Amino acid sequence: MPLAASLCPQAGRERSPRSARVRGGTAPEADRMAASFLFSQFMGGLTAAMFLFLIASGLSLVFGVMRVLNFAHGSFYMLGAYLAWQAVQWLQPAPERFWPAALFAALGVAALGAIVERCLLRYLYGREELYQLLFTYALVLILGDAAKFVWGTTQLSVSRPPLLAGGIAVFDTIVPVYNLFIMIVGPAIAVAGWLVLSRTGAGRMVRAASQDREMLDALGANVGGIYTGMFVVSSFLAGLSGALVTPIQSIVPGMDVEIIVQAFIVVVIGGLGSFWGTFWGSVIYGQVLSFGILIFPGFSLFSVFALMVVILVIRPWGLFGRPL
Amino acid sequence: MIRRRAALARHIPWTLLIFLVLIWVPWLGSRYDTFLATQIAIQALFAVSLNLLLGTTGLVSFGHVAYFGVGAYVCAILMKTYGMPFVVAFPAAGIGAAVFALVAGFFCVRLTKIYFAMLTLAFSQIVWAICFKWNEVTGGDQGLPDIPYPDLDWMAAVPGLADLRLSDRFYLLTLLLVAVSLAVLRQITHSPFGRMLTTIRDNPERAAFIGLNVRAYELAAFVVAGAFAGLAGALFGIFNRGVFADYVFWSKSAEVMIMTILGGMDYFWGPPVGTLALVWLNQQTTSYTEYWPFVLGTLLIVLLYAFPGGIVGGLAAAFRLARRRIVRGDA
Amino acid sequence: MDVSARKILAFGCLAACFVPPQALAEGSIKIGFPIPLSGPTAVYGAPILKGAEMAVEENNAKGGVLGRKLELLSRDSKANADEAVRLARELIIKNNVDFLSGTLTSAEAPAVSTIAKENKIVFVAPTAKTILLTAPENLHPYIFRVASNTTIEGRTGAGIMAKWADVKRVATIAPDYAYGRDAVAAYTAYLKKLRPDIEIVDQQWPKLGEPDFTAFITAQMGKKPDAVFCDVFGGDFVTFAKQATPLGYFKAIQNRLADGGEVGTVDEALALGPDYPYGIWSDAYDPVIWAGNEPAEHKAYVDHLKAFTKSEYGSGWAIVGYISVQAIVEGVKKAGSTDSDKVAKTLLGLSFDTPVGKRTFNPKTHETESGEFWGQMVKEAAHPFAIIQNPEYIDPAPFMN
Repeated sequence: MPLAASLCPQAGRERSPRSARVRGGTAPEADRMAASFLFSQFMGGLTAAMFLFLIASGLSLVFGVMRVLNFAHGSFYMLGAYLAWQAVQWLQPAPERFWPAALFAALGVAALGAIVERCLLRYLYGREELYQLLFTYALVLILGDAAKFVWGTTQLSVSRPPLLAGGIAVFDTIVPVYNLFIMIVGPAIAVAGWLVLSRTGAGRMVRAASQDREMLDALGANVGGIYTGMFVVSSFLAGLSGALVTPIQSIVPGMDVEIIVQAFIVVVIGGLGSFWGTFWGSVIYGQVLSFGILIFPGFSLFSVFALMVVILVIRPWGLFGRPL
Repeated sequence: MIRRRAALARHIPWTLLIFLVLIWVPWLGSRYDTFLATQIAIQALFAVSLNLLLGTTGLVSFGHVAYFGVGAYVCAILMKTYGMPFVVAFPAAGIGAAVFALVAGFFCVRLTKIYFAMLTLAFSQIVWAICFKWNEVTGGDQGLPDIPYPDLDWMAAVPGLADLRLSDRFYLLTLLLVAVSLAVLRQITHSPFGRMLTTIRDNPERAAFIGLNVRAYELAAFVVAGAFAGLAGALFGIFNRGVFADYVFWSKSAEVMIMTILGGMDYFWGPPVGTLALVWLNQQTTSYTEYWPFVLGTLLIVLLYAFPGGIVGGLAAAFRLARRRIVRGDA
Repeated sequence: MDVSARKILAFGCLAACFVPPQALAEGSIKIGFPIPLSGPTAVYGAPILKGAEMAVEENNAKGGVLGRKLELLSRDSKANADEAVRLARELIIKNNVDFLSGTLTSAEAPAVSTIAKENKIVFVAPTAKTILLTAPENLHPYIFRVASNTTIEGRTGAGIMAKWADVKRVATIAPDYAYGRDAVAAYTAYLKKLRPDIEIVDQQWPKLGEPDFTAFITAQMGKKPDAVFCDVFGGDFVTFAKQATPLGYFKAIQNRLADGGEVGTVDEALALGPDYPYGIWSDAYDPVIWAGNEPAEHKAYVDHLKAFTKSEYGSGWAIVGYISVQAIVEGVKKAGSTDSDKVAKTLLGLSFDTPVGKRTFNPKTHETESGEFWGQMVKEAAHPFAIIQNPEYIDPAPFMN
């Protein structure tokens, strides 16, 4: 998913004057308009960056701890979207039905993740990574057809929750409230995840499992339980991000593969195994796209790939990654 | 007795035998069977070229379809836009793909594992984007339809081939070219060079310690694999009478990787068997239902748990088991 | 047989049990219909197929054609050109279809066209709009198209927007591939002719399947256009509209946006529901909900469609599949044979009636040069979604020479 990145925090802070009245013509007005335009590009890109981070964070967690490239993460995202839509239909006509629907979707997908991990994935841990990837790809095929079977092929849409509809005027542009919400949720999850991983006992166990599984097992810890737990958390995040994206995107078949490639790339750019790497990878990607399309109109088609080439050539392990 | 038979088996030119058997498809099978066989032959070559990276060198490439696509476009452009004959366009496709593999591979082999795989994917998608947008040369997203068949009139002079249809003649040409390519690839795999690649796959650090320039070998493998993928792509374009940006999209990389693993990465003939199985299964299933992905996904999962070595791996294991039982019975 | 092969065989047998019995005997007229039924393009593929199936059912109920029943063989082409080619060949050689229809993407249609030419089978494309399909270098006796094309789309949009007298600055936003580029090119060229005083101030090219239009929307708003020609369609339009509305995009241009991508279709409007940007102008092959002077045959068609698809509102896309089968049927009737050579000759210049008006194949271009129904999208109490107000069929003949 190309992140429309709005760049330019500097322009917003240094150059734009505080007055909000716009009249064309004079130089400071032109400056203000240019600044507000850059600011709106920045905000749009940041929204997209945070959406992608929501999805990629789960992917990053699973890879960091379990060394599994979960291709089916995109399918969980798609199922989260479909489940949210379904719950919204069931809960009509309650006005704030979006929130329980999103929670229902996230929990539903988390449950599916638990089943997948417990019954199927755990038997593949000792095997080559390629086989694990193949397994998750097979899941993508199966879940995609299951979604088509249940919800058909028509496009679906969920309206914004009334609580977060509308926009706020900032610097002569309108920033949709929902976008602001996502821009808060993204970093919130990043910080929460980082706090849990680095400050709690459970987090310590998870980090230990990612460093040396066998040793941890030998010390008597329930490594299997940790793996299941991580997968469930990752699935929850995927389902949640799928649900949260429905107010600003359409739900169509094929959204699973569309997003997973973008998410993979952002994780790789940031450096595999680095949670903050994924965060900054998303932000950078969003920035690059938002300003890339201004310079080079056809850019969005391959922007994420070009960015990955540049970064991997300069830093072969991604921005914050360590040698595998 | 069994051991002597096994040693004998290694000396039989399997490629030649299989080729001789498959020659008879146009006469024994229907017209559609010939089309299927052509498709299987072409994609088998593509899969074997990928296996040079995957099974032999241990390099997981997500972007192998780029070279397939470059080959397809080079051949199609030369034949359709510039009217060049097939004898020129076909090798040019291989060379073009090899050049591109050299450029991309130079950057990719500096990375390892998943980073390598993702960078190959990135180059592949950039190729796709170029093919998708460069309307003047590649036809853009509308592609290059109506690619001419190569001039196969000379086949009329060969006894027995005069009354064959054009598509059947093309099948024989394809079979010949694929057989030769596979023979070459087999030689490469079993040569000292191939053994170096296997050493790199098994333990890259040890390979470096004993003095192998790992990156150079990997790059060489990358280029060779790319070249043969390009040849397969050239044939694919003519077979489909058109070259389209769809041929270069990453889903085709996934498809060929599945064929390779389905058949068995550890055996030279694994990928062709996987291709045969997948193409046949696709053809059968799609005539009954639109839920082919579900069928394929289920099949893959069954395979992963029951037959980790792929089809050929499973067959080889069964054969070994049977042989052990017979030997025990003998003794 | 090893275990997995046994499982596959068992599955295959099981699957075969669910295949509806081929009740139609030999002697039925077969139409092959490869079309995407999976992936994002299935949004159109599925309803178009339904329209074709309904046409087949209607004809069979009337006794068939030349005393023979029609049979539609549909396959999922997965929006992949080489799969479409393989399916076309399989349908022709193995299933002995008499005619081909279907395909959707701008690569599938030319690919199958080549196979149709190779096998001398009439191929009627219901929905591909790419002008390359019937361009002189690709034209052959067996290719026909009942869809509109990008030239008609662009010029119609220009014709409508030229009438907005107070518009001086215009912007365009369209998906970045041949369809979008050709339509916008046709639009800008024709607009220059009609209104040389209008200036094109901005052009945005989001990619097909773009999940986030925000950067494009804000960039376009920054140039302050008075009106916009948009060609974003389908799922992308749903995403675009949902993102553009809170940014104030439609308000800034006072809803003076014309979308040539058939977003006036009921399917689209239903998907967006209350989030639809009311007040914009758009088109549809079939307005479905047609208030005032609706032809009787259209009402009958829509009623039957609702029953056939078991849906409350039917679909605005089914009509193109329906018309493509109708074209084949009329061709066979007039030629008195299913021989493709004869039918191909008959189709040139053939006029036939459809639920949305008369269509005629242009003998030079093999197209019906179909126009579409345009109108402003409004809210109406009777329906919980946007409908075209006073849908007007815009005949492309005046601006096509």
